[in-house]
Amino acid sequence: MSSKNAFSSPVGKKLITGITGLGLVVFAVEHMIGNLAMFSGNDAYNEYAHFLTSLGPLLYVVEAGLAAFFIFHITNGIQIWYGSRKARRIGYDTYRSAGKPSKQSASSRSMIVTGLILFVFLVIHLVSFKFGPGGPGNADATYVTTVAGVEMRDLAKLVRHKFDSPYYAFGYSFVMLLLVAHLRHGVWSAFQSLGATRPSLTPTIYGLGALLGLAIGLGFIALPLAIYFHII
Amino acid sequence: MKSDLDSKIPNGPLKEKWDHYKNGIKLVNPANKRKHTVLVVGTGLAGGSAAATLAELGYKVKSFCIQDSPRRAHSIAAQGGINAAKNYPNDGDTVWRLFYDTVKGGDYRSREANVHRLAQISNEIIDQCVAQGVPFAREYGGLLDNRSFGGAQVSRTFYARGQTGQQLLLGAYQSMSRQIGLGNIEMFARQEMLDLVLVDGKARGIITRNLVTGEIERHFGDAVLLCTGGYGNVYYLSTNAKNSNVTAAWRCHKRGAAFANPCFTQIHPTCIPVSGDYQSKLTLMSESLRNDGRVWVPKKQGDNRKPKDIPEDERDYYLERRYPSFGNLVPRDVASRNAKLACDDGKGVGETKLAVYLDFAEAIARLGQDAIAARYGNLFEMYERITGENPYETPMRIYPAVHYTMGGLWVDYELQSNVPGLFVLGEANFSDHGANRLGASALMQGLADGYFVIPYTLGNYLASNDLKKVDGTHEAFSKAEKDATDRLEKLLSIKGTKTVTEYHRELGRIMWDYVGMSRTEEGLQTAIKEIAALREDFWKNVLVPGENSTMNKNLEFAGRLADFLELGELMARDALEREESCGGHFREEYQSEEGEAMRNDDLFTYVAAWAYSENGHTLIKEPLEYESVKLTTRSYK
Amino acid sequence: MADSMNIKLKVWRQAGPNVQGRFETYTVPDANPHMSFLELLDVLNEQLIKSGSTPVEFDHDCREGICGSCGVVVDGVAHGPQRRTACCQLHMRHYKDGDTIVVEPWRAEAFPIVKDLVVDRSAFDRIIAAGGYVSINAGSAQDANNLPIAKTAADLAMDFAACIGCGACVAACPNASASLFTAAKISHLAMLPQGMPERKMRVTAMVNQMAEEGFGDCSNHAECEAVCPKGISISTIATMRREYMKAMLG
Repeated sequence: MSSKNAFSSPVGKKLITGITGLGLVVFAVEHMIGNLAMFSGNDAYNEYAHFLTSLGPLLYVVEAGLAAFFIFHITNGIQIWYGSRKARRIGYDTYRSAGKPSKQSASSRSMIVTGLILFVFLVIHLVSFKFGPGGPGNADATYVTTVAGVEMRDLAKLVRHKFDSPYYAFGYSFVMLLLVAHLRHGVWSAFQSLGATRPSLTPTIYGLGALLGLAIGLGFIALPLAIYFHII
Repeated sequence: MKSDLDSKIPNGPLKEKWDHYKNGIKLVNPANKRKHTVLVVGTGLAGGSAAATLAELGYKVKSFCIQDSPRRAHSIAAQGGINAAKNYPNDGDTVWRLFYDTVKGGDYRSREANVHRLAQISNEIIDQCVAQGVPFAREYGGLLDNRSFGGAQVSRTFYARGQTGQQLLLGAYQSMSRQIGLGNIEMFARQEMLDLVLVDGKARGIITRNLVTGEIERHFGDAVLLCTGGYGNVYYLSTNAKNSNVTAAWRCHKRGAAFANPCFTQIHPTCIPVSGDYQSKLTLMSESLRNDGRVWVPKKQGDNRKPKDIPEDERDYYLERRYPSFGNLVPRDVASRNAKLACDDGKGVGETKLAVYLDFAEAIARLGQDAIAARYGNLFEMYERITGENPYETPMRIYPAVHYTMGGLWVDYELQSNVPGLFVLGEANFSDHGANRLGASALMQGLADGYFVIPYTLGNYLASNDLKKVDGTHEAFSKAEKDATDRLEKLLSIKGTKTVTEYHRELGRIMWDYVGMSRTEEGLQTAIKEIAALREDFWKNVLVPGENSTMNKNLEFAGRLADFLELGELMARDALEREESCGGHFREEYQSEEGEAMRNDDLFTYVAAWAYSENGHTLIKEPLEYESVKLTTRSYK
Repeated sequence: MADSMNIKLKVWRQAGPNVQGRFETYTVPDANPHMSFLELLDVLNEQLIKSGSTPVEFDHDCREGICGSCGVVVDGVAHGPQRRTACCQLHMRHYKDGDTIVVEPWRAEAFPIVKDLVVDRSAFDRIIAAGGYVSINAGSAQDANNLPIAKTAADLAMDFAACIGCGACVAACPNASASLFTAAKISHLAMLPQGMPERKMRVTAMVNQMAEEGFGDCSNHAECEAVCPKGISISTIATMRREYMKAMLG
């Protein structure tokens, strides 16, 4: 069987969505933990960011991989959504979930919406921070600092600056709540897509997946709110 | 058409007949098989297995069913199991014993040679089905499990939970699907056969109606296999599916095929009782329940206490009392009749008083609820869904219902009717079950006919006959098509006041009252009169809505009912003619002092085959010769 | 006899495949709690015929939940509110006097409407014909007990094989996916040694056919399991994916 066929098949699409989804969860966890460095102070945060940028080519490889994961995840997600629209052109007058053991929920039904908002957010996020003042191709002396004798980008300052704005702090937090919703269905769904067959484990996987989603979301929200309310 | 019927039973000792037959037949060479088109009507166990097998052999097969998919044929509803003489439990079973039990269970009104062949083939069926992936129940050691069924003292029934028919049918359907995928079977779903087309006296085609568009189609080939099931719906209320009907068989009958033993119907003892006038069908509870359930009624007439309030010594476990050696596992006809007797005696239970208890309390106490749930869980669930009562806590209420028809089109040993080229398989024929079918034997027969009999006998027919080319332009097709169209138009044009369902209920009432579990000369005479009058009224006053050019189920049902209205009368005539009690046919005039059926072997050891002509029906008798089995009075005491 | 109930039915009427459909509202004044849901439709149809109207077409046959013919969406749920119950076995005791019930056909592009509540599910047959079988010709099987199969595997195979092909999974799925149906057959045969020789071909062919029929993809909503009259678990879908991955890896 040709690999093109396999990847565009109903199973292949979900497989890719699942694998890339789980990959992105790993990235989110890593990013979230990185964010929490801020609670140890600006320097710790800047050092961590500097460590990442100093990886050089390795970073580019990881970033390229991440970009690919995002692209595959998003295009497959859109394809699946579009396919489902095509598969039922006339909907029901009355429709409701039959209840347990259905996993249908607001979060499962809104994956495309939460996903697309997260994507838009991602673009804004990259423009604001990664490519923001002091970032690549955007040298800005205001956002330079020296930690332990090493000159580096003062990303902490930028973060504090951004999250002082209520729009940014609450907007960010809101989007992170959407991430929680996305992950509530997404984590479990990824395992199911990758062939987790034992029905007895389903509640566990579903529960742990939702918890992980919640933990990631709350971890992300902690920083903007802490800054906005001057807790740190 | 010949006026006498040649059963073509092969020579030689009983055990060697089938081998003799196979050794002597003509074969169609592989290259020639492609040149033969076979029309298979019906996709149940018989039709599905036949279509798949013939396609595997290389014939071109056209397959037809009235449902939207071949997977929905009514064989799917069989619950309990399928018999085979494997003797895996080592409890003394043999091919001979299965043969003997079946002949005895049929009350000595079936053909020895056919039944013996069935018993011989039974083992191959299990092998075939397992190889297809049918998930039969297994023991912990990984080997197949068996359970016991009515009318046998060995455990020879293979089963797949309470869904054996479904699993066997899906096996056949999957084999068919494979051939459809390979292009060897052309499948026509939602098509109803309305007529048989004869050319030079041979069956060469069928007329069908496309149930979606109403279009009439002509299909032609070298032989027609009728696998269209039984006619239990003549009673309106039965365990048959709503679409089960006699039309295809009846149309063949009117084109010359003899109809054999129409009065032999099986009333199944364990069904959920009727609850009201709107009732559209009856639901069977597998006979396997009688393995662990005990049948009883209160000893007192009109006892309105709840079952749990009736003490042990005020209960009558009448089957155990009257038949100590078979107890609750007596054959179906015996169990049904005894339930009727109990209710006629005023001891019936439930709101309608037309029910007896089937009680699992003792089995639950002995084996635990889990063990009972593992065996019958899905049946208990189904019972609760329908009645709203929990059978783990309160006994089930059951009552007999029409379930199976042993009668059907007459066939010889080759399963060929007296119309050359018309073969009849499964429940649609009459051959193997005599006057009463044992549980778990219908699945066996349907699959035996389709997988292992027809491939030989059809080949012999095709190789022995020089069949000239025929296509749909032949005048016989035009005439048959016109007949079919005229009939449909006629039904639509009456525009009377009574609906098809009202007529059908009325017919059902007559049949159940007079041609049901027990029959009398007077009642049968009444039935004949009432059915004739009802039929006349039907053709004057039926109200069929809608038109012919779209899906119109009322039109379909009207056509089927018109045929039931003719068949019902023939059933009553057949029952009247047979002045004895045997199996499912119980004439009140012919019973012992204890109320047991009394056969009359001197006068009635024959197959009653009815031939149709414009002047009415004539009876042709095919004598039944018992060479290997001694006719005795059936005793399950 | 229990009291009779007055039930309103809002039913989808559509004269044929390519014509505009609409809802019609009818009243059945003498419904009875012991009736099945399909018997309620029977009573409605008798009413309609008597009043000179065209009865509502719906597929039905065995009326004991095994043939898979019947299937309508009742108040937004495929086969209605009772779990593990096809609508032929849904009884009116679950409703009360004065209730309104909305009845719609299965909705999916792969299940085009034939008339009223009747849809064309032949796509399912084509999925099975693509590979949902064991290639064994009649006559070539070995003795049944030569192939011991662990009871647990046989029982699991039976769980999956219980599918009645009614299409409720597709009807209820927000994506109109046929994954549960397809996966049930793949999983049934994947549990058994008889299914091994063709397992790779089977899963690819059936999955491809499913896509070709125009069903949506599975998003793991698990709504299918909740409406399945046989309660088939979505673990079958995970099994199908495993089988598919194995097939992909060679």
